[in-house]
Amino acid sequence: MTTPAAELVGVSQRFGSFTAVDSIDLRIPRGRLTTLLGPSGCGKTTTLRMLAGYATPTSGRILIDGQDATRTPPEKRDLGMVFQSYALFPHLTVADNVAYGLTMRKVPAPERRRRAAEALELVGLGHLGDRKPKQLSGGQQQRVALARAVAIRPRLLLLDEPLSNLDARLRVQMRAEIRRIQSETGLTVVLVTHDQDEALEMSDEMVLMRAGKVVQTGAPRDVFPAPADRFVAEFLGYENFLTLADGREAAVRPEHLCVVPADTPLDGQADGAVVLDAVVRDVAYRGVDVLVTCEATDPAGTTVRLVADHRADHTAAGAGPAPAAGDRVRLLAPTARLAPLTAEPATEGIS
Amino acid sequence: MSRGLKLRHPVAGTLAVAGYVIMIVPILFVVATAFTAGSTLRFPPEGLSLKWFGEALAYSPFMEAVVSSLELAVLATALALVLGVPVTLAIHRGRLPGKGLLEGLFLSPLVVPELVVGLALYQQLMIGLHLDNFTTLLLGHTALLLPYAVRVTGASLALADPALEEAARGLGASPLRAFVTVTLPMLRPGLISAGLLGFVTSFNNVPLSLLLQTRDFRTLPVTMLDYVQQSYDPMVAAASTLVLAATVVVAVVAERTVGFAKIFGGINR
Repeated sequence: MTTPAAELVGVSQRFGSFTAVDSIDLRIPRGRLTTLLGPSGCGKTTTLRMLAGYATPTSGRILIDGQDATRTPPEKRDLGMVFQSYALFPHLTVADNVAYGLTMRKVPAPERRRRAAEALELVGLGHLGDRKPKQLSGGQQQRVALARAVAIRPRLLLLDEPLSNLDARLRVQMRAEIRRIQSETGLTVVLVTHDQDEALEMSDEMVLMRAGKVVQTGAPRDVFPAPADRFVAEFLGYENFLTLADGREAAVRPEHLCVVPADTPLDGQADGAVVLDAVVRDVAYRGVDVLVTCEATDPAGTTVRLVADHRADHTAAGAGPAPAAGDRVRLLAPTARLAPLTAEPATEGIS
Repeated sequence: MSRGLKLRHPVAGTLAVAGYVIMIVPILFVVATAFTAGSTLRFPPEGLSLKWFGEALAYSPFMEAVVSSLELAVLATALALVLGVPVTLAIHRGRLPGKGLLEGLFLSPLVVPELVVGLALYQQLMIGLHLDNFTTLLLGHTALLLPYAVRVTGASLALADPALEEAARGLGASPLRAFVTVTLPMLRPGLISAGLLGFVTSFNNVPLSLLLQTRDFRTLPVTMLDYVQQSYDPMVAAASTLVLAATVVVAVVAERTVGFAKIFGGINR
């Protein structure tokens, strides 16, 4: 088995009495894109900064390429970092910004220029080398920051909330762009984000963090349908929680709850689904769908507030019009869509 | 701007105009009397001549004092910057407790009366430690300029993203190279402004220079003051006009190279 590109062993970071990162173990797989995902204050940025060498762990060890780098200063780590603010040098041209790391490595001028040009080409800004950063748009600055980090052929490419300062459309474009650059260069990438969609779309491997601890790791396809606990479930957009007949807690997404009138015969629909009696409390029309808030009785007999995302094409047996407040309905939750939660509920700390 | 100010805030506008008039008109009188052909410091000047400029330039106490003043101003400014920049870095980038206290300490020369500072330096350094008056003056002026060095360079550092230095480190720069290649260029406008302000402040200073003067080393303002007490002729006006002209040249150069908004933007923060 190959050594991971980087490894954190029992790493903690304390600031006075506040523990930002609490004894985490983490392996960053080589040549993949790993995201550190969590709400603000969960320790993901601190973890990234410790990887980069801008913060020294209070305890624990950091290995890069299998070698201890816990106390190695950032300039000796050979890592490429893209800051949330991009941190482009305002007094240097775009080309000189990208070449900065190569200048520090005493790469001869002709090769330096060639490699800087290559890196700018990679991000599609080959023609803007002579500009100053101020003359570029936010999206272009972001690409320059990326090119600058990639130009040194880093052992790890670290991205701190790289897309948070871009507008929504550009953000979605850049997700694909970062993935493309990752696969073209084969770099190991660690990306910090608080946006679950971003993490789901971009990651090979997701690391979910909460209050300085790692709560769940895995590929998006494995993590998304099976959140480890209520915190992860809520963070990934599961809004409904209910207790099953066997006492286990389960989460279900609003779009997987199907609303049918209470007086319609169920036919075969209830097969493989949990059926709940409910009363509609609120109906919110949202164009493509209708959000139906209900008060339901779950299999354990407790009253829970459930939100169903009602679409015409959801209800197999004659969709019919959306229910109105006060209607008695049945909610169908397909067993396959119920995500059983193993850990204790933990609702605080979501931003 | 003053027009809009006057229309919207009549009282403030009038005060502003009155302020300018009070500051500038007396200066114009001095400049006008410097060009007199007569031999008394009177307005209106009696005839037009440049003879008093010639006299002023030929008067050796003034010329020696100009050299002394320049020497003192340049050294004190340089020293204040050399001491002030690390302090600025510590305040804005360092992780030290009591930053506010430290900054306050370095700004305090702005509020402590200079006469008190001068007397203290005279007692402790010249009498107590037997330092010569140039060294004492240099220390005094340096202390006087520290607030400008700390505050004005701090203003340009506060505007710069702290991640810049981290980015430089991450790209392979040692702390020293990161400072030289990234921090120093960020500080450049602040250094120029603080340097200009410091130079002008030291060059024009009277209270400290007056208290710490000796027969051998005297700054220009003190020498001029001394001269006026004895003889009241237009030579002082000519000397003042020359100083004014030099100041205007410095100001124009500063405006052309850095811009006043940038220079003095630093103090208003």
